[in-house]
Amino acid sequence: MGDFAALLDGFTTAVQPIYLLYALIGVTLGTAVGVLPGIGPAMTVALLLPLTYTLEPTAALIMFAGIYYGGMYGGSTTSILLNTPGESASIITALEGNAMAKAGRGAAALATAAIGSFIAGTLATVALTLLAPAIADVAVKLGPQDYVALMVVAFLTVAALLGSSPARGIAALAVGLFLGLVGTDTLTAQQRFTFGVPALADGIDVVVVAVGVFAVGEALYVASRMRRGPIPLVPISGKFMTKDDMRRSWRPWLRGTAVGFPIGTMPAGGAEVATFLSYSLERRLSKRKHEFGNGAIEGVAGPESANNAAAAGVLVPLLTLGLPTSATAAIIIAAFQSYGIRPGPLLFQNESALVWALIASLYIGNVLLLVLNLPLVGVWVKLLQIPRPYLYAGILTFAALGSYSVGASTSDVVLLFLLGVLGWTMRRFGYPIAPAVVGLILGPIAEEQLRRTLAISQGDLTALVTSPFAALAYTALVVFMVLGWWLKRRQARTEAELAAAARAESQPAVVEGGRR
Amino acid sequence: MSSVVGDGTSRTGRPVREAPWAEAVFPVALTALGVFTIVDATRIFVPGSANTLGPRAFPYAVGALLVAVGVVLVIGLARGHRGDAEDSEDVDSGVGTDWPTVAKLTGSFAALVVLIEPLGWPVAATVLFGGTAWSLGARPWWRPMLVGAVLAVVVHVVFTQMLGLFLPAGPLDGVRFFG
Repeated sequence: MGDFAALLDGFTTAVQPIYLLYALIGVTLGTAVGVLPGIGPAMTVALLLPLTYTLEPTAALIMFAGIYYGGMYGGSTTSILLNTPGESASIITALEGNAMAKAGRGAAALATAAIGSFIAGTLATVALTLLAPAIADVAVKLGPQDYVALMVVAFLTVAALLGSSPARGIAALAVGLFLGLVGTDTLTAQQRFTFGVPALADGIDVVVVAVGVFAVGEALYVASRMRRGPIPLVPISGKFMTKDDMRRSWRPWLRGTAVGFPIGTMPAGGAEVATFLSYSLERRLSKRKHEFGNGAIEGVAGPESANNAAAAGVLVPLLTLGLPTSATAAIIIAAFQSYGIRPGPLLFQNESALVWALIASLYIGNVLLLVLNLPLVGVWVKLLQIPRPYLYAGILTFAALGSYSVGASTSDVVLLFLLGVLGWTMRRFGYPIAPAVVGLILGPIAEEQLRRTLAISQGDLTALVTSPFAALAYTALVVFMVLGWWLKRRQARTEAELAAAARAESQPAVVEGGRR
Repeated sequence: MSSVVGDGTSRTGRPVREAPWAEAVFPVALTALGVFTIVDATRIFVPGSANTLGPRAFPYAVGALLVAVGVVLVIGLARGHRGDAEDSEDVDSGVGTDWPTVAKLTGSFAALVVLIEPLGWPVAATVLFGGTAWSLGARPWWRPMLVGAVLAVVVHVVFTQMLGLFLPAGPLDGVRFFG
């Protein structure tokens, strides 16, 4: 019951007015930025990171937790109300939610997304509370060879499963690994790949990379082929939620949570796979299959819950093993590192008060989100109407601000732009961005653990696979790969079916699509 | 869901697909980066005590990975496995690259880099914001400049006075609220 007492302690910290205020600011800003079109959760977290630079760690992480959950939530509002293809993590919500909004049931779609996010977020945080300390207890006993195994699992699953083909994912990973090489080698204290530039001696800051490839990359990409004309916003109409909506929603909320959380904890799980899986599950179980594609409320309730449950699930490997399984998680690790805190099994021992305050603030953040979002939806709609030139100018301004304030040097701003060009190129030619960020964070850690393993074993390579945990991890890797490949095929099949259905359905909509 | 308007051309009549070699630039660059990584890694000093895995091994591995994946991608392209451009809310997947806009945007960014230290954040950020918004189509030109100036000053005051971060004030140095 020690964990429960620790959680209560966490709550007593997190409910202090000043921390509540930070949580509120975090949730509000996270949602506001997350709502903006073109800004996914990873970019939200990266852009808002500078706000927390000068705060003390507890305040910063509490605010950060709010930004994380708020950013996850914000995206769904965008996809329900904005009639354009959005990001893949919330594309299912876009399909059904958008269809609902067009059919005059936008309010119900927003409500089921908000309540589902709250329920899933809270239940998944409970699961995180119960699971994380137990995993950390096991993880404390892991040796360097076990960490090497974990990194290999993370690398391969993230690279192979995100993006349109394994080669493209691995290419992105390799770019990240190279960026991770730049800097001073920790074991021999010599500079590698710094090109004689002093600013690179400490390595490339993760914040600069994340903001560069996500924010500047997106701004360049949008600038290069901008959608002109009026913003196709769907007005919010209809009843908030009827009894019937409620009856149809509660089961998908719970099922979405059950699907999303475990997937979030898996390497390369993340929100994307979880939403697709939940969607196809709901469609299979529904008695009104014909409504799917035309605005079935189950198709919003389930995936939205899965999305938020996965967001909490991602925190399990992050907090207990220091293993980021998504780009957003990699940026959160960077935030921890900027306070000299290394997420991993020792976190629950060394920084117990901090971790439990963070977990408590996740519960609080969820409540705040529910309270904030339904009344504030009018404000979010206003944000969606920001003229695009101003929106992207703002994104670039804050990106420049973030990279400059990392080290008060213009070389970081130049680097930011170069990384933006990289991010643009990768987007343009269909390379996933997340593996690059994960590679950058995990590459140096993997190298260090690998060299420690081989130093202990005096060069004996078999040491890498002979520990029971490592052997288990490599076996699990094979299982993950097969499972992931199967999930991916399911996802592709669902997409193909939806596309076919949409084509059959929306011949008239094409004419309407000629709005520009 | 890529192109509802998929008639193959944009309003300006340019073909949607850029030249096929454009897509090969990235994999070729990856291969070159890999070769560079391997060559440059040979120059890393290995101390005598590092008898197991020295500071060169991991760079070699990353370099080899870059070369291998670059080659695989080039072969894939030659066989017609092309990548799909990423969907985004504000991206029109039916048009070609708008180079003039990208150039103007790059110019605005360069202006920030040049101006931030001599003239300070408020001026440099105004130029960046105004220049970017103008190149993306905001008219008349003074409106984005005005919005940019207000934003830059607010950000400057909030970040330097309330959050305690450093931003150069330029000629405003020493003025109250600007640091």
